[in-house]
Amino acid sequence: MGSVKNSLLVMLLLILLTGCSGMTDDLFPTGSDKRPSVQCGVTGPMVCQIGPDFTLTDTLGNSVTLSSVVTTTGVQGAVLYFTMWCPICDTHMSHMQTYVIPAYPNVRFFVVDYVSGSVADAQNAQLINGYAAAAFTVLVDTDQSVLNLYQATMGTTIVIDSAGVVHMNEDYKDGVRLQNVLAGLP
Amino acid sequence: MRTSIINIICAALFTGAALLSPPAAWAGSCCGGGGGTALMLPSFYQGMLDVSFDFEKYRGFWNQDGKVTPDPPGSDLRQYRMNLGYARRIAKRWQTSVVVPYVWNDNTYSGLSSQTEGIGDMTLNVWYEAVDDRSAWKIRNLKDMIPSVTIGASLLAPTGISPYDDVTSSFDITGRGFYRLDGNILVSKTVNPWSTSLSLSYGKYLERSVNREYGKYVEPYQKNLGDRTSASVSLSYVYYIGTGGDKLTGTGSFSYLREADTTYNGSRDANSGFRKESFGASLAYASTDHDWSTRISWSHAVRQDGWGDNFPITDIYTLGVSYGFR
Repeated sequence: MGSVKNSLLVMLLLILLTGCSGMTDDLFPTGSDKRPSVQCGVTGPMVCQIGPDFTLTDTLGNSVTLSSVVTTTGVQGAVLYFTMWCPICDTHMSHMQTYVIPAYPNVRFFVVDYVSGSVADAQNAQLINGYAAAAFTVLVDTDQSVLNLYQATMGTTIVIDSAGVVHMNEDYKDGVRLQNVLAGLP
Repeated sequence: MRTSIINIICAALFTGAALLSPPAAWAGSCCGGGGGTALMLPSFYQGMLDVSFDFEKYRGFWNQDGKVTPDPPGSDLRQYRMNLGYARRIAKRWQTSVVVPYVWNDNTYSGLSSQTEGIGDMTLNVWYEAVDDRSAWKIRNLKDMIPSVTIGASLLAPTGISPYDDVTSSFDITGRGFYRLDGNILVSKTVNPWSTSLSLSYGKYLERSVNREYGKYVEPYQKNLGDRTSASVSLSYVYYIGTGGDKLTGTGSFSYLREADTTYNGSRDANSGFRKESFGASLAYASTDHDWSTRISWSHAVRQDGWGDNFPITDIYTLGVSYGFR
């Protein structure tokens, strides 16, 4: 009788626990598509929206404005990759530099450093991570304003076409999705 | 404040669950780390409670080529964990245990500071004491060389906060978000005052659907982490204090951990696996009746090229106390 009571108590606790911190999402994962419907064509970070414009300084001290980059003649679009110089970020950036960037010469690639508080620190991080001669440009998001604009975090990869339309806003993963999206750019 | 209270309630509930259900183990944590502490009952004990505190300090990482890479200038990355464990004997040779970590992430960069907390991934274990150590005192013949062999299985349950939960940043993560089933074997031999052990573990994650990344819903896909292999060897020396039976045990160890590549929709991501090798040292004190014991330990990753791949370099300091029920 006692063991039945204990078992019931355990089950009750487990049921209560599953309500904690959205834990059920991992305990009982679902593959249902829950992407919200978004209004296309308006300014926003989601796919089919117009990516919010911004100006950041790169690690060489140049000012970079997104709208100017993507509207430059011959440029097909831009990729933003958000880094915190972690092992996973390094893997992604290395993969992107080796396998993706050479295949899309008409796309501009930017790595957005949102953890270094200054251009000097970002430049230092770029150097010690071995990206001194990188095929991408490192932008310094000192106040995380662009991070917030695009609802990004570590590894978030954004693709924006020459009209400013967002085509991708998700984790880099293995880079396959990024390459598929770039291949389909207008 | 409200989130913090809810988290504490959740932790309390988990502790309750841990105390009432069978099971023990190896705590998992955010980025493939974790305490790696096995909670195992000594012979003649019916149960054990264990509380330990880990402080993990990040000191850069090994990149894909095994080259040491520093963290960004001005950064100070730490993780604290409180691990609550309970082990219980369910039959003469069978025991179970559970370990539940509570995790605090404390990350400072030159331009960003973040402090987050939450329950980590819970581990449930079952162990079978297959072979007893026949002689712990003197080797007289070949049979006395037979070591103890304990085999077991562990289930890592994704009770922590993962990238696939409703989070806003990677800093919030306290768990990996996947179930993992491990097969474990522990072989140990004692010839007082020396003792040596070898533990091997092989784990398989269960593939899952993902429809959200860091709080953003995405096109659903299937993801699985790579198989995990770990091995550890240790050598201990027991020093008896005075004539009362109190003992001090010093242990040195070497550990190897490898996780194979992740797959997305069945396709392997060739850059996602990792490897880590580390040394450990610990000092444990047990009282005369051996019901209480305390320990301090240090797990040290060698900050040199080649001692790991694609993984953070960390030192882990642990302070733990346990109480056994006879």
